[in-house]
Amino acid sequence: MATRAARKAKKANRTPASHRTWALGYLALAAVMFVVYQYALPWEGLPLPIYDFLQLWLPPTSINEALVYVICALGLNVVVGYAGLLDLGYVAFWAIGGYSAGWFMSNFFEQWNVHGLASVAATEPGIHINFWLVLVIGGVICAFFGVVIGAPTLRLKSDYLALVTLGFGEIIPQIFFNGEDINGFNLSNGTKGITRLDPIPTGVKDLGPFDFGSKFVIFVLLAALMVFISLQLRRGRLGRAWLAIREDELAASMMGVPLMRTKLASYAVGAVAGGIGGVAFATHVDGVYAERFNFSISIFLLAMVVLGGMGNVWGVILGAFILSWINSTGLPALGDTFNTQFGTNIDFPSFTFLLFGLVLILMILFKREGLIPESRLRMVLHEGDADEELKPAHLKPADGEDNK
Amino acid sequence: MTQAAVEKVAVRQYKGTPGQIRRRRIELTAGVVLGSLAMVWIVINIINSPTQFAQVFILGFRNGLLYALIALGYTLVYGIIELINFAHGDLFMLGALFSSYFITVWLGQEKSNLAGWLTFLAALIAAMAFCGGLNILIERFAYRRLRRAPKIAPLITAVGVSFILQFVGIKWNGSTPRNWPKVLPQSEFTVLGVSVAWNTVILLFVAVPLLLLLTWVVTKTRQGKAMRATAQDQDAARLMGIDVNRTISFTFAIGGALAGAAGLLYQQTTGTTNYNLGFQLGLIAFTSAVLGGIGNLNGAVLGAVLIGIIQGLNDGLPIALGQKWSQTVVFTILILIMVFKPAGLLGKSTTEKV
Amino acid sequence: MTLSNELVLDASNISVQFGGLLAVNDVSFNIPKKSVVSLIGPNGAGKTTFFNVLTGLYKPSEGKVMFGDREITDLPPHKIASIGLARTFQNIRLFGLMTAEENLLVAMHSHLKSGIASTILRTPRQRKEEKEALDSAREILDFVGIGKWASEYARNLSYGDQRRLEVARALALKPEILLLDEPTAGMNPQESGVFVDFVHRVRDARDVAILLIEHDMSVVMSVSERITVLDRGEKIAEGSPEEIRSNQRVIEAYLGKAASEGRGK
Repeated sequence: MATRAARKAKKANRTPASHRTWALGYLALAAVMFVVYQYALPWEGLPLPIYDFLQLWLPPTSINEALVYVICALGLNVVVGYAGLLDLGYVAFWAIGGYSAGWFMSNFFEQWNVHGLASVAATEPGIHINFWLVLVIGGVICAFFGVVIGAPTLRLKSDYLALVTLGFGEIIPQIFFNGEDINGFNLSNGTKGITRLDPIPTGVKDLGPFDFGSKFVIFVLLAALMVFISLQLRRGRLGRAWLAIREDELAASMMGVPLMRTKLASYAVGAVAGGIGGVAFATHVDGVYAERFNFSISIFLLAMVVLGGMGNVWGVILGAFILSWINSTGLPALGDTFNTQFGTNIDFPSFTFLLFGLVLILMILFKREGLIPESRLRMVLHEGDADEELKPAHLKPADGEDNK
Repeated sequence: MTQAAVEKVAVRQYKGTPGQIRRRRIELTAGVVLGSLAMVWIVINIINSPTQFAQVFILGFRNGLLYALIALGYTLVYGIIELINFAHGDLFMLGALFSSYFITVWLGQEKSNLAGWLTFLAALIAAMAFCGGLNILIERFAYRRLRRAPKIAPLITAVGVSFILQFVGIKWNGSTPRNWPKVLPQSEFTVLGVSVAWNTVILLFVAVPLLLLLTWVVTKTRQGKAMRATAQDQDAARLMGIDVNRTISFTFAIGGALAGAAGLLYQQTTGTTNYNLGFQLGLIAFTSAVLGGIGNLNGAVLGAVLIGIIQGLNDGLPIALGQKWSQTVVFTILILIMVFKPAGLLGKSTTEKV
Repeated sequence: MTLSNELVLDASNISVQFGGLLAVNDVSFNIPKKSVVSLIGPNGAGKTTFFNVLTGLYKPSEGKVMFGDREITDLPPHKIASIGLARTFQNIRLFGLMTAEENLLVAMHSHLKSGIASTILRTPRQRKEEKEALDSAREILDFVGIGKWASEYARNLSYGDQRRLEVARALALKPEILLLDEPTAGMNPQESGVFVDFVHRVRDARDVAILLIEHDMSVVMSVSERITVLDRGEKIAEGSPEEIRSNQRVIEAYLGKAASEGRGK
């Protein structure tokens, strides 16, 4: 607890006031949530209405799931928000991260016996590596694939790039889906998935799938790590290079910015976040299931980044939380309440597609800068000016010049 | 020699920069290599099971025509406003759904008799009108404002529209596939030991005239000329007095109509509808358009037929990867083309003057 | 004023073909060290195309470009920029949503060394590097005269200051050659005069050669040590301002044959 607060404070001290406010705000919120879920919820003296309310509207599973989406959305934010590259296949990294957890933290590969600081007995078959190491391994594998996918494709113009990333976003999950028998080798157990992952060792206690409170802390830490990485990179030369590419690729290259390398860097960083999120999610649901990885997830993440404000980590966190919550809890809970109240039988969760589609369309048409525009946009211009000026450069029309 | 004469000779003899020449040579060799491998695979399969090959081939060809109708919508829209209309595949899906309701629910036809045939023709017109009109609305409300915005904006919007259309599909169709009776004859006939379904022939008789009609509209009518002019240079077209907005709407209408026709044909030949039909087939159709050369109408048809055959062969032949790898195969083709030959088979690789 | 014999840039026999159009036809051109040279010609003469070849945006169909003793013909634009060839744009292409100093910092990208890890961890070396870069940026901004706008967003600057910022950004690349693409477009005569002084100041203080593409003849004549004239893709004249001013072919190219023969309409 102490180190987490210290790290956040250290970061806050070096960053402008608005970042500090946001960081502390979210931190306070996280602390409150932790207290509620770890201590208040299990407390017997908690009044039943409050307990029911929390379980219906804010169950711990949905909070943790939202955090996973936050981590991945932050990764996508680096690609789409900072560098301005439209990636429609981000789910591929989530999948690879998930399977990394499945491969290295379960009995799946029972034909081998590899143990690395594992949380299970040395006699267990399979590859068992410490969760924290698997996070790193998953991140590295994803970074590798990010480079492999990005190298031939990032030089394409934006619409082609979107389609190609979409293609990869379909191919990779399909490989896992069919992965039960690839020339005789069982890569992913196909549709059956990989289940029963190792517990997370924390020195104090090994966390299983039901330790929501402790997992909450871990997920918050991972999200904070992503925020930290995003903000630090943004301040340095890489972040400036990304912004320059986003605004005017040609001018950037003529000023000495190597386009391919810089774009690849954004893609790799984003991929690492996806991998970490994937590993986290696998421990959250205690398994890796191929049919969960589909195109809709890539679009959900995109909607979160668009809603929150492309390029603004605090907005993206908010957008991710809101949309994830609506999808996992908000709509179903609303549906139950509404239906019992009015005796109707409307299937609320099926409105997900409508919701996400509307978010994308309405945000782009009317509020392209997102719920929380990058602070510099707000600073630069007059309040309430609803014209072109408020949009980040890569979303503004380019006065007849060629568009990316 | 006069300046003009020198230039004329330069034009004739111009082969390209050393880089371009080298690139063309690489593409040619790669094409030859891939083509040869494909030939070998095909020959092996023909020897292995000739009748099955023929049947699968015909089926693939039929699907290719279907994809062509959808692919043309993508390529027309991309040609005129350089937008990949993500939602186009879902328009096709709604076309299929609309046709289902039109024939079965509203007009109550289930048999392949005269009434059935008439209903089919009526449905064709209705579906084309429905989808064409829907596409016009989509362009008007979702894309028009973003015409001068950077490409990332309308792309995201198109994805949003796609989701909304899929939502409509979920509500209308339900979230699981539905089966519908077909008013087209279901029998088959055999030619040289190969059995061909009658509805394949019918599809041919619907698709080909539509394609010819499209070609006529694009090349011979005033609206078609306006489309081509707008595709080349929007501002110049506007200066020439062309109503660019109306021309773009017209393009969307045609693309939508073709998708509607494809929807009807799909629904009548396979008898099923599903809300995510658009996503699957849309990507295949888009790959076809890119394979043939995006913006090129003939290319879209050629690419679609090729992809249809490749997919059919892959799904149906004994010596192949099988249906579960179908999407991967198509997407791999898409990625390979976009990375190595983005202009496609019939497209021009233009060097742009900056 | 005699030009140095040492060449900082040497382009020989450059030809550029677009499809069937020969935009640049066998043009040889060099830039002596610390000189101020201009490239002029009527519209469509191929100046911008040639310019783009020098900066690596186009690859010529024939010919080669030497930067010092290094061939740069096939290098990508960002590499050419990083080894010392900087340019400004005819239509200002600043990074509007970045501050003036950030614009310069972007240009310093290739001279900074910090990687992802050292940026994330903010190592002492990275912090030092950033501080030095920022100081250097401020110094350049002061030099061009917009020091007080250092933290202002580029898009908020006045047109004249934006032009200066473009030059400052190019200077941030620590170039040996500065290519200015129609830098006085949109300026009135007084502003152009100020700009001429500015060019001289840049050349003297920053030890850099300057190549100017310009349409404003008064600027060209007053600032250039040597002028090269292109017409329809070919080099038709090269020499001192006096020589060019009275060159028959040049006059013809600009005003048409009839005018040069005195037959006005």
